[in-house]
Amino acid sequence: MLRSLSNIPVIVACIALFALMVMTFCDVILRSLFNAPIEAATELTRIFMAIVVFSVMPYISAKGQHIEVDLTDTFFARLGIERARDTTIYLVCGLLLLWPMHRVWALAERMLDYGDVTEYLAIPQFYISGFIAISLAFTSVSMLVTGLLHAFKPSALEASK
Amino acid sequence: MTAALIGFAVVLFLVFFRMPIVFAMGLVGTLGFAYERGGAFFSERGLNAAMSMVGRQITDTAQDYGLSVIPLFILMGLFVNRGGLSRELYALSNAFLGHFKGGLAMATVAACGGFSAICGSSLATAATMSKVAMPEMRRYGYSDSLSTASIAAGGTLGILIPPSVILIIFGLLTETSIGKLFMAGIIPGILGILFYLFAVRWTVFRTPEAGPAGARTNWSDRLTAIRGVWAVLLLFILVIGGLYGIFDFEPLNLTFSPTEAAGMGAAGAFLIALSRGGLTLATTFETLKETAFTSAALFAVLIGARIFSNFVNLAGLPDALIDMVTAYDVPPSVVILMILAIYIALGCVFESLSMLLLTVPIFFPLVTSLGFDPIWFGIVVVVVTEISLITPPVGLNVFILKSVVGDVSTATIFRGVTPFWIADIFRLALIVLVPWLVLVLPQTMGVIGH
Repeated sequence: MLRSLSNIPVIVACIALFALMVMTFCDVILRSLFNAPIEAATELTRIFMAIVVFSVMPYISAKGQHIEVDLTDTFFARLGIERARDTTIYLVCGLLLLWPMHRVWALAERMLDYGDVTEYLAIPQFYISGFIAISLAFTSVSMLVTGLLHAFKPSALEASK
Repeated sequence: MTAALIGFAVVLFLVFFRMPIVFAMGLVGTLGFAYERGGAFFSERGLNAAMSMVGRQITDTAQDYGLSVIPLFILMGLFVNRGGLSRELYALSNAFLGHFKGGLAMATVAACGGFSAICGSSLATAATMSKVAMPEMRRYGYSDSLSTASIAAGGTLGILIPPSVILIIFGLLTETSIGKLFMAGIIPGILGILFYLFAVRWTVFRTPEAGPAGARTNWSDRLTAIRGVWAVLLLFILVIGGLYGIFDFEPLNLTFSPTEAAGMGAAGAFLIALSRGGLTLATTFETLKETAFTSAALFAVLIGARIFSNFVNLAGLPDALIDMVTAYDVPPSVVILMILAIYIALGCVFESLSMLLLTVPIFFPLVTSLGFDPIWFGIVVVVVTEISLITPPVGLNVFILKSVVGDVSTATIFRGVTPFWIADIFRLALIVLVPWLVLVLPQTMGVIGH
């Protein structure tokens, strides 16, 4: 159940990415052969990208797929404190994220107040920033949960790999 | 300046503690920015300014039109490979080079070069080619050190020959034209292939039994091999040619922006893979998913780097460096040599992307203020980064080979890599001394048809 739920954002990201590809292709073809570019292409590109990146952000953050430097792994393994290290890192990162999340949400609210919309399609800017803020909130929660699992139930993390 | 140096040290500490780079750079960048703005730690004014910068960086980076090249080019590489390109490229270069002494290793280098023209990552190039080339070289009795080294070294070309993820990141960090950077990478990339071919010849000249000659291929088989890759070759010409401006004539008038080139490339690669029956709904989904994950990680790291670089600039580290260089009257060429030495030293331990993210915000302003071409510097940095991928003790491409092949020690691979490493140093020297090699293509971009 939880697994299929966590798949929804991934599917959303995949659809947005595919749409981005098809749209860029069509835009070039329409522009060069029929002199009729898709006018909203630029702003749709921006929106699709935000969806692609921030839909999967909670997922990759919890799965440890961020870019890291693993030079010291053997050192930590020798000391036998990998679990303590992972717990600390995930909890700290999860907590830290609440701060920018709060900020992006404030930004989104301001856009709502001003009624900011995109240039061609008049899509409220609030949706995009709000979506990013919500994604950051989920990312924060997913990292906190992963940190707690590292501390109290590492077997669950092993199983999900 | 002191604040920036302390910040730099803290980032290193956190990163070695295995904190994801985005969090290390983001945290230090935010607090440092707040300190510089507010005059003290945790002053309200400073923190407010810092957080408003952070919020803006996050929302802006996610919606940065220029960044859309990242997912699209990654997608192109993955789609093409679903169609089995690596195998066909190897068959092709083998058909032409296999009968020479060390020919299979030379074919490996050439195939890596070809694969790089679609794939923007060195690690992916090395990992993919090792699955194809390694069994073949073993079958012909090639020494482990030569066969693994030719793949590890050949794989490094992935980040230089366009499209290249590292060049895109460099372009975005420094606001340099990605299209021009791509063009600039072509000649150094071809030089890389040629120099590596020499390195293979040198190895078999020293130890002939390391790379015996394979069977000669007749012309009809060679033509079959060419037929296997023509579609992908066409795709490359469309994408990179379109970027360069070769279609900019009446009635087409078509010059691609990097995003358009990437979009055309991804869609074209999708069609090629589809026509070859290499795609099902499930594999398409897998490909899209992998792309989304990689892109999200790259975007995250870019957000972190931008926050950190805002702090470094505010703290005046680049300016301080420039002042220092002017005060001591250091000749620009010496500065470049020092920077290169620092990169090669950092490359011993750092992974390519982290090295770039940490250093470019500091060195780039210095280098451009000394009057060097930003495009040229980008290529030099990427070539040094390539070298770092095969430099002991931490050469990521060597580790990839080790993990894919399994039964070869890293020491054996590093030993085999030595001639390739030396070839790289020669190439680096050449493009440092003759910037024309790098700059001629970007400078003539869009000239055709006008």
